[in-house]
Amino acid sequence: MIKHLKILEFALSSLLRRKLKNLAIVSVFTTVTMVIASILFLTHSFKKEALLILQGSPELIVQRIQAGRHALIPLSYVDAIKGLPGVGDVRPRYWGYYYDPLTGANFTVIAYPEGIRKTEIIEGSLPGANEHGYCLIGSGVADARFLQIGDELFLQDIKGRVLSLKVRGIFKKSSQILTNDLVIISRPDFDRLFGFPEGHATDLTVQVYNPTEIQNIAGKVKKLLPDTRPITRSEILRTYDSLFNWRGGMLLALFASSVLAFVILAWDKATGLSAEERQEIGILKAIGWETSDVLTLKFWEGASISLISFLTGIILAYIHVFYFSAVLFEPALKGWSVLFPDFRLRPYVDLYQCFVLFMVTVVPYTASTIIPSWKAAITDPDSVMRG
Amino acid sequence: MNSDILISVQKVSKCFNRGRPNEIWPVREASLYVKKGEVVVLKGPSGSGKTTLLGLIGCMSRPTSGRIILKGQDVAKLPERFLTEIRRKTFGFIFQQFNLIKGISVRENILLPLYPTGMSFGQMSERVEELMETLSLSHRAGFPVEILSGGEQQRVAIARALINNPDILMADEPTAHLDSKLSMNLLETLGLLKSRGMTIVIATHDPLVFETEMVDRVYEVRDGRVRER
Amino acid sequence: MIFHPGIIALFLGSAVVVLMLLYISLLSVRVLRYWDIRSSSELQLSLERKTYLTSTIMNYILGYQIVSALLFIYTVDSLHTEFVGAMCATGVLNANPVGWYVLYLKVLNLLLSGLWIGINILDQRSPEYPLTRLKSALVLILLPLIAAEGYLEVRYFLGLDPAVITSCCGSMFSAQGKGLASSLTAIPVKKAEAGFALVWTLFFISGTLSLKYKVSSFKYVFSIISVLAFVVSLASVVSFISLYFYELPTHHCPFDILQADFNYVGYPLYISLFLCTITSMLTGIYEALRRKVERKDVVDRLQRKTTLSGLVFGLLFLIISLWPMVFSSFTLQGY
Repeated sequence: MIKHLKILEFALSSLLRRKLKNLAIVSVFTTVTMVIASILFLTHSFKKEALLILQGSPELIVQRIQAGRHALIPLSYVDAIKGLPGVGDVRPRYWGYYYDPLTGANFTVIAYPEGIRKTEIIEGSLPGANEHGYCLIGSGVADARFLQIGDELFLQDIKGRVLSLKVRGIFKKSSQILTNDLVIISRPDFDRLFGFPEGHATDLTVQVYNPTEIQNIAGKVKKLLPDTRPITRSEILRTYDSLFNWRGGMLLALFASSVLAFVILAWDKATGLSAEERQEIGILKAIGWETSDVLTLKFWEGASISLISFLTGIILAYIHVFYFSAVLFEPALKGWSVLFPDFRLRPYVDLYQCFVLFMVTVVPYTASTIIPSWKAAITDPDSVMRG
Repeated sequence: MNSDILISVQKVSKCFNRGRPNEIWPVREASLYVKKGEVVVLKGPSGSGKTTLLGLIGCMSRPTSGRIILKGQDVAKLPERFLTEIRRKTFGFIFQQFNLIKGISVRENILLPLYPTGMSFGQMSERVEELMETLSLSHRAGFPVEILSGGEQQRVAIARALINNPDILMADEPTAHLDSKLSMNLLETLGLLKSRGMTIVIATHDPLVFETEMVDRVYEVRDGRVRER
Repeated sequence: MIFHPGIIALFLGSAVVVLMLLYISLLSVRVLRYWDIRSSSELQLSLERKTYLTSTIMNYILGYQIVSALLFIYTVDSLHTEFVGAMCATGVLNANPVGWYVLYLKVLNLLLSGLWIGINILDQRSPEYPLTRLKSALVLILLPLIAAEGYLEVRYFLGLDPAVITSCCGSMFSAQGKGLASSLTAIPVKKAEAGFALVWTLFFISGTLSLKYKVSSFKYVFSIISVLAFVVSLASVVSFISLYFYELPTHHCPFDILQADFNYVGYPLYISLFLCTITSMLTGIYEALRRKVERKDVVDRLQRKTTLSGLVFGLLFLIISLWPMVFSSFTLQGY
């Protein structure tokens, strides 16, 4: 134990004596770790965020399909589905997309749903049941249109007339992932905006009492109403999950090349022992250090470099992703949506990501230093005498 | 055999690059012995093989053939790990260049040989303070070695060689880089060590060394062969 | 599927390790052919130096095996959302049965690398390097096993098809099902508990005996019982130990205890069991190698250490696994 402590101490002082060289390795190592960790944290956080949102979504959504495309669903389907055993409440939802020529963005427009409650995520006040001419908007919409509470939001309805809506509330930034592009308006305004046909809804949400019955009921709905497409919550979750994994993996694969470059650098640095280092190891061997002692020394050197770079990389990535909203990745991520939320992600980091990170950074680095360390360690003890 | 004999080298040869065109035999069938408390000199011009021989005696490398009996144990065939252990316990080395590690303090340089032994911190510092006191280095303890004078560096090298309490001190051309005054100082220190019962083996071609009175025996080394003088 | 970050990491790690192992296998072949401790030739000298490289790489491989086993379980576990019916690692392993073989191989390779390191320690403490050939032969055995692990890992992940509806621990580790897992679960709790108690009692008795007396057979018995204890304990985790952690009489999953919900208790549990098995097995292996080694005192000292640590880790495992049985209000009476 004391032996390891002393050798570790000497390893640290050796590292410090060659500041420049080791600083170069540490900074490259840290950068690689930071980039990869940022990718992992970001995608993981997106995934978690999406999961949380979906947790609150209904167990089953029923859409109507016409000519292979999503079509409006007749309200007569509500009662048909309600008649199935095990089904609780069935509600119609009214929503659609509004292309805003002014900003080039797509808004998600939802008719003011029943049972909405005042929540922490909204600033402003909620309208009464029979009011119209108002809207609640996401912060992305507010920013795009430079709106504040009390201002008017102008939209163009289906006949080309201007629909002016008073902004009653704005969703807080913390809920941005969910509400960024949202515009909530009253039913009458909704009908006017889109010219929605009477007796139809966008889709239906179905409450199922027993979660294990969801698949079963989805099947029954499909049988009863063959032109519908029931979507279960777990299906949505799966799609999201594989999408995010795929994105994270793609980015990671791209960065594998940078890891490779880093390994080559490490190899180069480690094999190219300077004459001074060679001399030092010769001295150590001559004064009674054994090959395995030098290997231990090299192990501690590598471990210190790995540990410092790994931890710094993780901390920098954490700050980068969760405090600076992954600014460095913005150009790459912008493509996801026109209204890219400048959100503050909630930090989700678990042991698993650290394991993955360890595997793709420390393992290759360590592997690339083994043979050079060994080569250094087998220096003949009498080499310093031969001069 | 005399029980006083610490090291007995019997017909030892060392070959490099065996079987290749550049095969060389720096040491051929060398035989010698060292008794406890003696000062023995291996004398010869540079390239005569005396440094290689010193390395063989000091368990730095293994001979190609022959036997080396150290305190009754044949060490010629031991693998490196055990050879190193024996070397660590038995020998202290002073090299031609001082071979100190730059950038670390005098104290650390002296302590280096003890790091792999797992000795406790208390014992280590006790020993290093004592040695620095003896060799009057205490006032330099925390200085980096490269700013020390040549004589002080030499003393640091000696202190490092003595830190593990060796039975035998090995010195390879210790006066090669010293002026005559420093050489005399060194010989004085060696004489002091001898008077305390230290066994010393010196490889040198400096008459100043092998003509001093403390030398008990001189072996002449020429082309790898050893002859007692 | 291949673009999952965890899977990329596993593939990368496997590739690195197989390459390293391939390299030291080539060295090992040379050692097996040319090793001669009495020779002072340069070839022998260079081989002796290469043994340092082999030990260093094997040390790293052991470390890697530990990380990769954990990462594998973790990755498989994190994939469960992509499979209908999967709720934890069990379901995802079922989605492509090759996964189970990967897991078994990982356990086996972890044990073997641990044993290799143990043998290496004995070898390095003996001046005549008596076990170098044996170690080289073991490297050559380990190479195909670890390569197979890597290959099956690739086959497993590439073969995962999210369209498959799998069965998860709920149905797999249920008494009604078929196969090994179900039969483990179907063992009546009383019998499983009795077997568990018996094998660990024998373990501690034989361990104490081999500490006290220098009798070879005690040491062999101790090692054999430790292997038995390993198997019985893994079965017991499925059969009844996990139930106490979940406080559910029907949940038998051996993976869920690795999750944060259960305070990661699975890690100390499995790690202590592995360490206990490796060190206890080494006691017997050292005994078998005793006649090869000149310095019997080295063998004695190492054996004492391995036996003691085997007992300590065994005790630790017992404490962790029995803790909830003793201190929680949940009981399996009547199930």
